[in-house]
Amino acid sequence: MSCEKYSSWITDAALGDLPADREPELLAHTLECAACREALHHARTVHEFVDRGVESLVVGEPSPQFATHLRRRIVQESEQLRSPWTAWAPIIAGALALAVFLAILVTRRPVHNRSNPSVASAVYPISESPAALAASAPTSQNATRTRSQRNSNRGTRVRPATTALPEIIVPKGQLAAAVQLSAAISSGRADGSQLLAAQREYEKLLEVKPIEIAPIEIPALDAATAKPASSIQF
Amino acid sequence: MDALAASFPRSAVSQDESLAREFEQRLADCPKLAYRVALGVMHNTAEAEDVAQEALLRAYRNFHRLRDRDRFRGWLVRVAFRLALDRIRAKGRRERHEHDATRALEEGQREANVENLVASREFEREVAQALDALPEKLRIVMVLAAIEGYKTREVAKLAGLPEGTVKSRLFLARKKLAESLQCLVKNTPAG
Repeated sequence: MSCEKYSSWITDAALGDLPADREPELLAHTLECAACREALHHARTVHEFVDRGVESLVVGEPSPQFATHLRRRIVQESEQLRSPWTAWAPIIAGALALAVFLAILVTRRPVHNRSNPSVASAVYPISESPAALAASAPTSQNATRTRSQRNSNRGTRVRPATTALPEIIVPKGQLAAAVQLSAAISSGRADGSQLLAAQREYEKLLEVKPIEIAPIEIPALDAATAKPASSIQF
Repeated sequence: MDALAASFPRSAVSQDESLAREFEQRLADCPKLAYRVALGVMHNTAEAEDVAQEALLRAYRNFHRLRDRDRFRGWLVRVAFRLALDRIRAKGRRERHEHDATRALEEGQREANVENLVASREFEREVAQALDALPEKLRIVMVLAAIEGYKTREVAKLAGLPEGTVKSRLFLARKKLAESLQCLVKNTPAG
């Protein structure tokens, strides 16, 4: 029973971790008990092996070439630090590749205005200058202008009140007429509100009224005064 | 290592002269420490040198933050230990160790003398295998204790741990190692 108690003490003693007040008791026991004495001896041997074995694994010095190699690596490191482009090169390369990719992506995207030229040629912002429109109406170049070009032109003018107006769709072939109308309204030669009222009036549905036909009154023939038709004289 | 420190071109070490001088002072004793820590994990001199150089190179890069001597040594030890572990894992050397250790065990049991056993390469391999089998937190304490002559205070400084923690981990590590190596020593007569 007492040997079980001392078995853990033996391990602690072999590791040098046994409290000082327990050491005399353990030694006294090992003097009496041959098994525990042998166990303590064995534990101390094992732990001595362990310590010496681990020490043998970490003993040694770096080779003389260690200094040379380390020096070379540190010099290389310093040179890399001196040339900042070397460090930035991978980042710059990545950024360029990304820019090229985005450029390809943007240029390959279809432009909607070009996909429907008949509508595109008829669409113009109402805010455009009539003079400019009149000048550009006969040409076919402006008919294919993209929305972005118009927006950029619009951005250069100082007309904040009209820039928010909606675009109108002019049927193909009536652009010149629409421009002339717009110019007339802008210059005051024509009253826009009057024209609009006339248009509304024109579009108003016609009322269908029943035709009233007055009955024809036929006077009754007087037998006494009646004369044969052949006797009537005009 | 003094020769190493003296041979460094100052401009290569750092633009700051005081930093350069301090780094040269560290190089007087720290490469050996890093090398031994790496050797305790790698068990191979060439690989341990490579790991020690890598650790010192990292120390050079971060030296402006590690000017305190104790802090620098502790940082270097931990970096060297971590680098060595990473390299071991990358190479999958553990399986090779196990294979070697199995063979070493068979040969080691034939050894008749304790001194012969300790001096034998097979015993060294067996200890290395037992050390590799320890958890990392026990292993670094054990390696540092072997390097520093089992002085708890020094190990605590290097590992950045309280002394009590180091003591308990060291106790546990030695106990586990003893259990692993017991079969090797069992039938070997002392002396």
